[in-house]
Amino acid sequence: MTNKNTIQPRILAIDAGGTMTDTILVNEEGQFVVGKAQSNPEDESIAFINSLRDGLNYWNLTLEDAVPALASSIYSGTAMLNRLLERKGRKLGLIVTAGFEDYLRMERGIQTYLGYSYSDRLHLVTHRHNEPLVPRERIFGVRGRIDLFGSEQIPLYENEVREAVHKLIDMNVEGICVNLLHSYVNPEHEKRVKNIAQEIIRQRGADTLLFISSELYPVSQDFARLNTVLVEAYAADPSRDQFKRINRKMRELGANHELRVMASHGGTISTEAKELARTLVSGPIGGVVGAQYLAKELGFENVVCTDIGGTSFDLALITGGQFTIKTQPDIARFMLKLPLIEIDSVGAGTGSFVRLTPSSKRIEIGPDSAGYRIGVSNPVSGLSTVTINDCNVVLGYLNPDNFLGGDVKLDKERAYNAIKEQIADPLGLDVYEAAEGIISLFEDHLRNEVISRVLGKGYAPENYRLISYGGGGPVHVAGYTAGLNFEDILVPSWAAGFSAYGCACADYEYRSDKTVQAQIANLEDNITPFAETINSAWRELKDRVIEEFAKSGVKPDQVEFRHLLRVQYVGQLNDVEILFPGDEIKTAGDVQIIIDRFEEAYAKMYSRSARSPELGYLVTTAIITGVTESEKPKLPTEPLGPATPDTKYQETRLVYYKGNWEQANVYQMDHLRPGNTVYGFTIIESPNTTFVVPKGYKAYLDAHRIFHLSPE
Amino acid sequence: MREYDLETLRQLKRGELPFEKVHEMQSSHKDRDRFLKMLAIAQESVPWNDRILLPYAEHLYVVEKPDKSRVVKCDCGYEFGDVKQNWKLSALVYVRDTKEKINEIYPDKMGCDPDWMHIREYICPGCGVLLETEAVPPGYPIVFDFQPDIDTFYEKWLNQPLSK
Ligand SMILES: [Zn+2]
Repeated sequence: MTNKNTIQPRILAIDAGGTMTDTILVNEEGQFVVGKAQSNPEDESIAFINSLRDGLNYWNLTLEDAVPALASSIYSGTAMLNRLLERKGRKLGLIVTAGFEDYLRMERGIQTYLGYSYSDRLHLVTHRHNEPLVPRERIFGVRGRIDLFGSEQIPLYENEVREAVHKLIDMNVEGICVNLLHSYVNPEHEKRVKNIAQEIIRQRGADTLLFISSELYPVSQDFARLNTVLVEAYAADPSRDQFKRINRKMRELGANHELRVMASHGGTISTEAKELARTLVSGPIGGVVGAQYLAKELGFENVVCTDIGGTSFDLALITGGQFTIKTQPDIARFMLKLPLIEIDSVGAGTGSFVRLTPSSKRIEIGPDSAGYRIGVSNPVSGLSTVTINDCNVVLGYLNPDNFLGGDVKLDKERAYNAIKEQIADPLGLDVYEAAEGIISLFEDHLRNEVISRVLGKGYAPENYRLISYGGGGPVHVAGYTAGLNFEDILVPSWAAGFSAYGCACADYEYRSDKTVQAQIANLEDNITPFAETINSAWRELKDRVIEEFAKSGVKPDQVEFRHLLRVQYVGQLNDVEILFPGDEIKTAGDVQIIIDRFEEAYAKMYSRSARSPELGYLVTTAIITGVTESEKPKLPTEPLGPATPDTKYQETRLVYYKGNWEQANVYQMDHLRPGNTVYGFTIIESPNTTFVVPKGYKAYLDAHRIFHLSPE
Repeated sequence: MREYDLETLRQLKRGELPFEKVHEMQSSHKDRDRFLKMLAIAQESVPWNDRILLPYAEHLYVVEKPDKSRVVKCDCGYEFGDVKQNWKLSALVYVRDTKEKINEIYPDKMGCDPDWMHIREYICPGCGVLLETEAVPPGYPIVFDFQPDIDTFYEKWLNQPLSK
């Protein structure tokens, strides 16, 4: 990379994985470099500084020079998720409504097979219960009952609360979680438990933490709420110390901003935020946020986001400039209740294993994969099963000497022999024929996923642009979009780092949800109770958001608030999220707006004829989002050069395509200039990705260094 | 095709593999020679030398005696006789046919009604291990669980016919 020491870095995105910590630095011109260092889970700030230093080397900058110039730093990482998966979280106690003490052992049936392949879902022998985050002996039931309308049916047995808290403190728990039935409607009992617990903790001089469900996640569905509170206390909250260390290091180096964390709703939040569990998964979210930002900057609204990594193919839709949010995601085999960008993940990536079924000799791709180990062609991988990467190497699409910028040397012959022995010979095929067959099967599979997601939502490819990123996206994009008439197909030249780039594009945004269950049949009804239920929820949520921003010194007048609702027909199960254009429901006209917006969204998502206004409407959830200004990367803009690339950089190699050997032009991505158009068969290589432009296609590089792929 | 080494399969048999590994094995196709490997593991785990032809049930095997006869044998060494005979006829049996006996293993009213169902427990006379349990109506004939066609299996499935 080039020396840009006159240009200061402005945005820093940290991606702390289990093995490597990446830092992505973006400068004022939108250019970026990636630093890498070995992860250090004990003290993440060490890995972070090493990685940052590595990145700054590319620009010949020192930490002391660069850090004070930064305007924002965004963290995403896998530490919380690993803590959860490895069951290495806090020692917790749990207080629930009496009768529900076996919640975690019984769980919900669905949790015994979450994340399984279809065939495993059918094979009950593979189903298994999760190890509870809190063992049964540290779960106490207390009597008392609030009904679903929020009225007290049985008063809280406070003596049982006292007894439970004392016992839990005797057991030396680090934290106590409290999750009582219907506390989202009426939190009085939980508040009482909190007061009693605080009193006892004080008396006994303990430092036990308290996690109260109605304070953290005031939402319906007590089991999912319980899971969410537990995950918060068990795995997410313990990361605060790491964040403090990173923040402290940054301050020492002269930073004048605080670290923010990428959250599942697509915004970034402070490390002091109440609901940290929603930062548990941030990996695939970055790309969708980045695509949304790109769409906004480039002035279009509908985008299909496609990301191919080593293990999976991730797909998300942006429609009208907005991604969709689902409110009951599952993460690490837990049903949770928090907002997560809707991303469909298919277990098919470039590292996916390829095998023949022993009985029918059918080619099977995945669902398991070699991931970062690439494939048999990687001599140090220790792998013996063919992967998609191996096929790409044999067919000439991937350059064995320039994979990951030459850091990993791939052995074409190893791949050839493995494909021959495992696939081609048993099928009586030529090796190249077999490899190409596998790739086209793989791409067909992805194409089916793309088209079914778009059509399934009631849209057509003609209305969408498709963005392809991730290390493997650009290799296969022509294949998995073939025959689908997308308005445009975009491949950012920074495709491999697009997810991290996306994190840097995220708004500084809080989102707060509360279950409300407000019903209205029509406008002849008295709208006051309906309006008041929602308005008071919005007021409460707005206060929460203000409170969260206040932790970072952001004042309410610096925040743009949006009022949203999730609405469904009474008796149906799927709610739809809509934006309310005001900040309060005052008149019947406001109610009409809600109904109209819901009907419109519903008709789009399902079908016009499925609309059922006669059922009446139910608002399930009130939502407030608050956004404040934060610096985002500029799109790089370079002057347009000639239409033809400089041939002095052009190399050639043979590739196998549609049953023939073709002479392909090969370019290094850095050597192509904005304005250049290349025609297939062309291969464009960069250290972290390869862009394949097959025969019959062309790719134009625009001023923002984004390729546009189209049939010739 | 996955291949698992003998040690992994030994651990599988002993229940020592982590669930993720077991799940991976459950979900993928079996190694071509899994049967022979499991047979080898069974053979090394028993204290006697008769050749095991087939794992038959928990603790039980069909073995080939030096005279080529095939008998059902417990891992303790107790022999139940010819594989074509129901081994249960040579086992000890404990029949739970009263409320008291049923309540020894079930909480009250959670077990069966002895007028409608008995629980028969078959026990090895050699080592006393519980080999099989039947839940059947009173008077029901002893169930013959499994009559394997060993010759066809070896010949057509394993492609290794047994010499007779
Ligand atoms: Zn025995």
